[in-house]
Amino acid sequence: MSGWLGKIAKVDLSSGQQEIVPIPADWQRRYLGGRGLGVKLYTTLCSPATDPLAADNALIFMTGPLNGTVMTSGRYQVISRSPLTLTICDSSSGGSFGAVLKQAGLDGLIIQGRAKSPVFLAIHEGKIEIRDAGHLWGLNTQQTQRAVIGETDRKASVACIGPAGENQVLFASILNDKDRAAGRGGMGAVMGSKNLKALAVYGNREVPVANPEAMKNLTARLDRIVDKNPVTGKSLPVLGTSVLVNVMNAHGMFPVHNFRRGVFNDAEGISGEKIAESLLQRQSACYKCPIACGRSTKTNNKQGEGPEYESVWALGANLGISDLAAITEANYACNELGLDTITMGGTLGCAMELAAEGVFPGDFHWGDAGSLSSWIEDTAWQRGIGAELAQGSRRLAEKYGRPEAAMQVKGLEIPAYDPRGAQGMALAFATSNRGGCHMRAYLIGPEILGHPVFLDRFSTAGKAEIVALFQDISALVDSLTLCRFLQLAVGISTFTEMLNGVTGLDFSDEELLRVGRRIYTLERSFNVQAGFNRRDDSLPPRFLQEKLPEGPSRNRVVQLDEMLDRYYAIRGWDGNGVPLPQTIETLGL
Amino acid sequence: MNVAERIVVRFYSILRLRLKTERVELAVAETTIKELLHLVEQKTGQKFLAELLDDAGEMLMGTIILVNGKNIRLLKKMATKARGGDTVDLISPVGGG
Repeated sequence: MSGWLGKIAKVDLSSGQQEIVPIPADWQRRYLGGRGLGVKLYTTLCSPATDPLAADNALIFMTGPLNGTVMTSGRYQVISRSPLTLTICDSSSGGSFGAVLKQAGLDGLIIQGRAKSPVFLAIHEGKIEIRDAGHLWGLNTQQTQRAVIGETDRKASVACIGPAGENQVLFASILNDKDRAAGRGGMGAVMGSKNLKALAVYGNREVPVANPEAMKNLTARLDRIVDKNPVTGKSLPVLGTSVLVNVMNAHGMFPVHNFRRGVFNDAEGISGEKIAESLLQRQSACYKCPIACGRSTKTNNKQGEGPEYESVWALGANLGISDLAAITEANYACNELGLDTITMGGTLGCAMELAAEGVFPGDFHWGDAGSLSSWIEDTAWQRGIGAELAQGSRRLAEKYGRPEAAMQVKGLEIPAYDPRGAQGMALAFATSNRGGCHMRAYLIGPEILGHPVFLDRFSTAGKAEIVALFQDISALVDSLTLCRFLQLAVGISTFTEMLNGVTGLDFSDEELLRVGRRIYTLERSFNVQAGFNRRDDSLPPRFLQEKLPEGPSRNRVVQLDEMLDRYYAIRGWDGNGVPLPQTIETLGL
Repeated sequence: MNVAERIVVRFYSILRLRLKTERVELAVAETTIKELLHLVEQKTGQKFLAELLDDAGEMLMGTIILVNGKNIRLLKKMATKARGGDTVDLISPVGGG
């Protein structure tokens, strides 16, 4: 079949055994690849009783049918159960690793077991070699990538963990292609629990395309569309994602001091516009990406990638820090050590609030830029107070008797949009299958950015419907394993056209939306079996009870309950958030 | 100039790079957004409306114009009034996340 190679391998690191996993004939059509196929495989291999850091947990690296063919198809998904949230989790990363994994001969790789000592996997021509990584243990992600490339192939793409993953920090990330990160949910900790330091993929296998002429024409058309679009053709390449700093601040929903305020007086100094005029060296792009939103940057002391919008907020405004160079170097440190910047910043914000209240023993103060890098380092190595930070904000706040000081949903820290400023985004945070995440349904699009339609951000009307739709579309795009930024320029019919051109199949837009809905419901069903229900589809009391004190979102709180009832009804779930039997049956789950 | 007699207009994203300034102040007691954009063009000496509007003068998808933090799409769009003492934010289409 075109698109998919039809080869998913499984490696047991305890025994060293390998096998090709047979996939039922209809799974590719019903789950596509990436997030969808990964979650389906995970739920057949593991149960809600599986300990995320135990040897029998599965860690799945998955591509989709489009990887290596169309624009932005270098991405991959990592799927497992999150040690931070205990929900099902998938984490996405850009770069080229997803395309090169297919060029190395695999659609995906399932890893179970635990190696007796550190190893890395070299994957080439569909074969997997387990190699010693004892000499790599302790290296940061950049050193590791360089070393593994040196030991395998100069064109290898390497995904690896840093010290944070080795030490099983609950929000450790996986880095690939220098600074691209599968950041959220602690997939790096799962990798570290398996004594797996890195995966190196390299090869020249071509991904079969059913209709190359049609794809050539489509690509030429898309190049023009992306170039002409003011966001994908101008704003993102020139200013990157941090262009949102000033925009969110102008709406009074740029979180400051652990979400106690929504306006940051020093926003200009950490904005995308400021980064472009001060630190930016050049744009950087993922595999076959015409947008190039990445930022190669340099401070007086170091160079690296970023910071992206989420990171400049998490390590900046959220902590009351306005020193752009310190924020940027803290971002570099998170990348090198292998830490999710959002959870790192959310946890530090929680610690600062607890310290300000006098209930936390650490020496933490709002605006302390000078200590930022050492806190991050201590977290990655689980040293001193860092061992407490390494557990994330929920566990930290619970330990000190102030669980409401953790700005999280289901244990995952909420990113850089105060939910009181956008009711739909609030519902999306509350109902996200992997916890406080903006990428399950980016309601900031319609509620703030006016894309693809404009909606009143303070109204709850129609928000349940659009959150459910956006969740389904996001699950679909993550399963095609393409970049979400493409959605700024094209609609679902373009994704259908891509999929049919590459695979030769006859998907309709409706069928693809149904695939998205099936995947989202499958994830929800896993979470329900793991004990999650309506009680967990909530937000910290701050957002439900405390009004924002100033700015254009002043006096707002989230009106969650009225949206939640409607959302469950649209989803075909009962009042406790459990999918009804007829919903399960209709989706063929 | 008295605060009540001036409108502060702030620029973000590509628009700021195009105009090479963060803001201008207009000595106007009251005007519509449509008129205000033309006044800004006169003041800056730069034709920038294509960054925000289509050929018919309507806002492009993704253009954000705020008067004191409130989106004019929820007010009277281009006919929305701005008055002395107001702050108007002009944001050419952006994305991210």
